[in-house]
Amino acid sequence: MKTIQEIQVEIVEEFAVFSDWMDKYEYLIELGKGMPVIDEKDKTEEHLISGCQSRVWLSCRKVEGRLYFAADSDAIITKGIISLLLKVYNGQKPEDILSADEGFIEQIGLKENLSPTRANGLVSMIETIKQYAASFSAPEPAAGKDLEADIVLALRQVYDPEIPVNVYDLGLIYDIQVDADGQVFIKMTLTAPNCPIADEVVMQVREAVADVPGVKDVQVDLVFEPEWTTDRMSEEAKLELGLL
Amino acid sequence: MDIREEFLALDQTVYGRPLVYFDNAATAQRPRTVLELQQRLSVEANANVHRAVHHLAAEATDHYEAGREAVRAFLHAPARENIILTSGTTASINLVAHCFTERFLRAGDRILVGEAEHHSNLVPWQMACQRHGATLEVLPVDENGEYSLAALESRFRAAEGRIKLVAIAHISNVLGIVNPVKEIVQVAHRYDVPVLLDGAQGIVHEPVDVQALDCDFYVFSGHKIYAPTGIGVLYGKKEWLEAMPPYMGGGEMIESVSFEKTTYAPLPLKFEAGTPNFLAAACMVPALEMARMMAESAELQQAQCEMRDFLLEELDRVEGLRIYGLPHERSRKIPLISFSVEGAFAGDIAQILDKMGFALRSGHLCAEPLLRRFGQTSVLRASLAPYNTLAECESFMAALRRAINMLR
Repeated sequence: MKTIQEIQVEIVEEFAVFSDWMDKYEYLIELGKGMPVIDEKDKTEEHLISGCQSRVWLSCRKVEGRLYFAADSDAIITKGIISLLLKVYNGQKPEDILSADEGFIEQIGLKENLSPTRANGLVSMIETIKQYAASFSAPEPAAGKDLEADIVLALRQVYDPEIPVNVYDLGLIYDIQVDADGQVFIKMTLTAPNCPIADEVVMQVREAVADVPGVKDVQVDLVFEPEWTTDRMSEEAKLELGLL
Repeated sequence: MDIREEFLALDQTVYGRPLVYFDNAATAQRPRTVLELQQRLSVEANANVHRAVHHLAAEATDHYEAGREAVRAFLHAPARENIILTSGTTASINLVAHCFTERFLRAGDRILVGEAEHHSNLVPWQMACQRHGATLEVLPVDENGEYSLAALESRFRAAEGRIKLVAIAHISNVLGIVNPVKEIVQVAHRYDVPVLLDGAQGIVHEPVDVQALDCDFYVFSGHKIYAPTGIGVLYGKKEWLEAMPPYMGGGEMIESVSFEKTTYAPLPLKFEAGTPNFLAAACMVPALEMARMMAESAELQQAQCEMRDFLLEELDRVEGLRIYGLPHERSRKIPLISFSVEGAFAGDIAQILDKMGFALRSGHLCAEPLLRRFGQTSVLRASLAPYNTLAECESFMAALRRAINMLR
């Protein structure tokens, strides 16, 4: 299996022979026409990526750790460019797709097609490919300690906007429970019960934890019993706030 | 005078090919006189209007008001008070959709729009209806893209006084047909319903006399009629403009302000809060002068008809090509032609034509409901101005055939 980089280099070499725009377009049209026909039943709203110029449909499946995309567009030149993208990405691993760029499109002189104002659906299509790759690259839930450590790391990125110490080191997190399905239960408090931004902090905690690979669902319980005191802060936090 | 020499933008190449600009319905190119005035005023008269007493401010104000006067004269409006300067057609429609409905639209009422409206003359009314619990009613076009006055009449009869306003295009930006707006206004007025005419395309191609049309509102943008972007017009009958509450609050629209109460400035300033685009407004003078000159040139008018006829006939010869908007009387078709080609997607054709130097519009043309009515999601539009030539039309047809052959 060739790497994404190798395939991109091949495509750039292929396009190097075209000196004229018309030849380039003719080739893209040929590629577009040669693309396998997508099943009409796959042209659903769910798979539709709309632009004001043309519509694009994209679906994705994972077979033995590799991703396979099927796509279609009502614009044939767009479809030609899509066929190049699929040539690069089909059969690759999600993590490789995530870390790749689409630099070859600029190198073969089709950069303008990627301008957001073109509205031909290509930009959104690449975003969707990356989203598929991201959702498929999340490792299977690693039950137990590893996942919990990742969650703690994520929590250390969440700050109460008024205090320069993250919520974990502040001692606001009372309990973290992770089950085998990737369900996470967090019990937490706030520095004061009438905290005006309570909702915001809880939401940030939920989002940060939900983004941890392996986490399927997050439930946050906000409690004010037992009451939070500065004793709950880590040594570093106390140092940071000048309490030591 | 060679008209093309007045429009500097026409003399350029794109991708090494001479530019053929066929997207005039979106934005027209500007004549030298407009460019020069814009440049000169930026240096000699850049100050805020209607405020300070110093020389530059007086100059700026004079030019701004000269722009308004040029618009008034062009529309044959009775007075300065009838002409509100806005940022464009969209802003003008939103102003009426907001202020008129605030005063005159109640739950259960209706607003009637045409099926061939640009989104700008549709969405603001939809929003207003939602705000007031009213309903949006749609007057359909037939297969040719024409409205039926009899159908309009029966709408009014069936609505039993609940239709409070009609908003309809003078010329649709997709169909390019001059609608019978004078007759539409007459029918509506028989039922005491005011009419707003969207003149974004109409102002460019038809002589407009708002008093003869007797319309209640007429709106258009400067940039489609050779002025810069950022200037638009709302003509309104005085009784409506006076009855409507102000739109945006701010500077210039006031008479006197205290924390308890503000009284508003008289028309037209009541609707002109904030610093206006005085440069663009001033440029309406040379822009409308150019429009008037081109409209009065028998030679240019004749050439426009020839180009329209040539394109209609040549396009008709292309297999699988369908034109949207073919009125019974050809004289009511302007040189604006939207079409689709079987087996060749509009966006693809436009992309290939672009590389051959032709600027055309493709897509839903901001009129999704109308395109849906014709079973399309995307069409191609060639829209011409008097500075286009028959030779350009000929090379366009050759390029179009080539593009279609590539795609089929």
